[in-house]
Amino acid sequence: MLSRIHPLAKLVVCLIWIAVSIFVFDAWLQIFIIAMAALALIVLERRSVLLVLALMVPFALFGFGFLTTSVLFRQESDFALQMARETPLGSEAFSAGIVLFLRAIACGMVSAVFALTTDPGGLIKALMANWRLPPSIGFSLFAALQLVPDIASEAQQIRLARAMKKGRPPRRIPGPLETASLVIPLLAFAIRRATRTAIALEARGLSPDRPRTIVGAPPFRRGDITFAVLSLALAAAAIWVVIGTGSG
Amino acid sequence: MPEGKAAAAWQDTSIKYPYQDKAAAGPLSLALEAGERLLLLGPSGCGKSTLLNTLTGLIPGTIPAEVTGEVQLFGEKVKSRPPAEWSRQVAQLFQDADQTLCGMTVADEVAFALENLGLPEGEILQRTAAAIDRVGLEPAFGVRRTMRLSGGEKQLVAMAAALAQGAPLFVADEPTAHLAPRAAERLRALLLEPGRSTSVLIIDHRLDGLIDRVDRVAVMGPDGTLVAQGPPAALFREHGELLARFGIWQPLASLLDAELASANLAASDPPLHLSDVLTHIDRLPPDARRLATGIARAFVGRRVRPAIDAGATLSALKGADCAPLFGPVVLRDVSVELRAGEVLGILGGNGAGKSTLGASLAGLLRLKGGRRSGPPGGMAFQNPENQFVTGSLREEIESATDAILTAPEREQRVATMLRRWRLEGLENSHPYELSQGQKRRLALATLTASGRWPFLVLDEPTAGLDAAGAAAVAAQVANLADIGHGVAVITHDMDFALAVCHRVVLVGEGGLIGEGRPGELMRDHALMARAGLEPPTILPALEWLERVPTC
Repeated sequence: MLSRIHPLAKLVVCLIWIAVSIFVFDAWLQIFIIAMAALALIVLERRSVLLVLALMVPFALFGFGFLTTSVLFRQESDFALQMARETPLGSEAFSAGIVLFLRAIACGMVSAVFALTTDPGGLIKALMANWRLPPSIGFSLFAALQLVPDIASEAQQIRLARAMKKGRPPRRIPGPLETASLVIPLLAFAIRRATRTAIALEARGLSPDRPRTIVGAPPFRRGDITFAVLSLALAAAAIWVVIGTGSG
Repeated sequence: MPEGKAAAAWQDTSIKYPYQDKAAAGPLSLALEAGERLLLLGPSGCGKSTLLNTLTGLIPGTIPAEVTGEVQLFGEKVKSRPPAEWSRQVAQLFQDADQTLCGMTVADEVAFALENLGLPEGEILQRTAAAIDRVGLEPAFGVRRTMRLSGGEKQLVAMAAALAQGAPLFVADEPTAHLAPRAAERLRALLLEPGRSTSVLIIDHRLDGLIDRVDRVAVMGPDGTLVAQGPPAALFREHGELLARFGIWQPLASLLDAELASANLAASDPPLHLSDVLTHIDRLPPDARRLATGIARAFVGRRVRPAIDAGATLSALKGADCAPLFGPVVLRDVSVELRAGEVLGILGGNGAGKSTLGASLAGLLRLKGGRRSGPPGGMAFQNPENQFVTGSLREEIESATDAILTAPEREQRVATMLRRWRLEGLENSHPYELSQGQKRRLALATLTASGRWPFLVLDEPTAGLDAAGAAAVAAQVANLADIGHGVAVITHDMDFALAVCHRVVLVGEGGLIGEGRPGELMRDHALMARAGLEPPTILPALEWLERVPTC
C-alpha cells in the first residue's frame, strides 16, 4: 500500500518523522516511531516479522555504540545527559544512552520504510518532474544503480583471477589487504564504465541544453495528500502527548 | 567523396589520440549512401570503432582526439552540432549493452531517446510499445528492470531502444559479439530486415548470416586506412588473399570458393553461402566433381577436430552443484571430466552457467554439492582486464613466466610470447590501452607463458578477435592439447568449437543436457535448440559430404 504513495510525499513525511526523532529527546516517542515503522512494513506491506527484526539489527548495532559510549564514558556524554534533563520534551524515565540507542533504530527504520516501499526509478523521475532535478544528474543516478551490481560482479572476477594466480579458491570474506588491492582496479572499472555510459547517453540524445519529455513520472493523487496530512497529524499528536506527559 | 547527400561521409579523415605518435584511423575517404547497408571490416585495433565515433562528433566532442579532414551526415558537417543533437538522424547500438542501458525499466530504456527529443508523451508510449513488440519481447517485459535481464535480452532492449528512435541512419558496433548464436541471428535479422529504408553501418566479425544482408563491404587495413570495398561476394573473391594477410574474417563460402578457384573449379559467380558452392560442385561434370569433392572434403576435414584417445583425468566434477562466487546454485548434479590431451567444449546460451562450470572445473569456485578432484587449472576470463596487474605488456608477461628462468631466458620468453600472440611493438603499452582483441591475446599469452597449469579453461577466447587472432588461439589450443595439457573452451562460436574440440558438453536448463563429439551433437537440432544454440555454419557441408560418394 505504501508503495503506491507518491515518492515525494513519502520522502517529505519520512524526513519529518526523522526530524521529530532527532529533535524530540524522548524514549517513548522513539519506541512509538519504531513500532509505527515496523507495523507499516508488517501490516501494510506484508513483510515478514523476521525481516523487520533483521532490518533492525544493523541500526541496533549502530545505536549500541551510543549506549555504550553513554554508559562507559559518562563524562564525555555530559552533553547528551544534559539534553535529557533539560529538554522540555525529555523523559527522565530513561537514560540518555537508551534514547540515543532507540533514536538510531527509529531513524533507521523510517529510512527502511522509505527504501523498501519506493521504486528508485519512480523517485528519480518524480524528482526530475517535480523538483527540477537536472536529467544529467537523474540519469547518472540511474546509471549508478546499474553500476553497483556490476562492480560487485567485477570484484568477484578480479578475486577469482588473483586466486587463480595464487592457486587456491578465494576466501569467502576478503582480508584487508585484498580489499585494499581491489580499490584501484574497481575505481578504474567504474570510471571507464561511467565514461562509456556518458558517451552512450549523449549518443542517445541526452543534452542539458534542450527540454525533454518525462514519461511515467508518478502522478500526485488525492490519496497522497490524505497520507501526508494523516502522517503529519500523527506526528503532531505524538509530540503533543510527549509534551503532555513529559516536562509539559 | 561522393557528391550529393550521402547518409554519412568521411573525406580524408584522420584521427589521432592525444600523446599517440600514429593516427588511430585514417586518412581515409568513405561514404554510405542513403538506404545502403555497409559492413565495415578490419583487423582488431585498426580503428573501426574510432571511425564510428567521429560520425556524430563523439570524437572529438566528448572523447578528445585530433580529427583532420571532414565528416558529414546527410550533407551537413558533423561538427555543426553537438553529438546529442544528431540522435534524431543517427541511432547507435554499442557492443556492450551494459554501457548503453541506464538501469531503468525496459520501457523507460526504449523511451529514453524519444524523451530526449521532446516528443509528446502519447507518441512516445506508442513508439515504445511498437519497438518492444518488434524485437519480439512480450509487452509485460516493459516493466522489468534491465539489470535483471540476461545478456541477450539486454542487447535486444538496446536494439529496441535504437529502433524506436526511427533514425534514418543506424550504426552498430559489433552488436553480436557477446551473444549466443540464436540471439545473434535474431539481432542481425532485426538490424538488417529487408524492406527498411534505413541506412545501416555495421561493424562485426561474424560474417555468416550477415554478408547476404549487406550491400557493400569496406575493409580497413591494420594501419587504419581503407584497403578495399565492394559488393560482398565479389570483394571476398577479389581480395581474399589481402584479407587473409591482414587476419580479417572471411565467410566459409568464400574460403572454399578460393580453394576451388586454385584448381580452376570455382563457379563464375562468387558465392555468398556454403550451399551455393555445394550446389555448384553437384552440377560439375563427373571428373571435375570428384576433384572438387576431394577439395571440399579436405576443407571440411581441417575444420572438424577428429576424436582422440585422451589421457589421464586432470580435473573431474562428480554430482557437482556449481554456483558463482557468493551466488545461488546455477547448475545441479553436474558430472564432467577433462582429460590430458583433450579439448573440451562448454557450449550453451547466454546466462546458462558456462562460466560458472568452467571456474568450478578449474577449482576456482567452491562447490555447493558433489565433489571435484584434480589440481587447480588456469583460466582466461571473459573480461581479460581482470587478469592484468602490472603497468605494461612486458611486465605482465614477465610476471607470468616460470620463476626458475634466468633473465635472458625470461627476456627470450617474453619476445616469443609477444610474437606468438601478435603483440610485438606494444610491449611498453599499458594493458588497458589495448583493443579488446589485443587484451584477449595478452591474457592468453600470460596463461601460456609458463608450464604452470596442467590444464586451462578459456572463457570466450575468440570473442572480438579477428580471424588471425582466432586462428592463433585455435593453434595454441591444439598445441597445448598435443603436448598433453587439457583445455576447456567456453564459446558461442560453434564453428570454432567444431574445429578445436574433441568433445563438447551442452549447458542448459540448470545442468548438462548433452555430451558427445561435436560433429554428432551439433547435428541434433532439437538438442541445440534446447541449449539456445544454432548449428555451425559448416554443418551443411558436413551433411553434404555424407551424401556424396567417397570416390
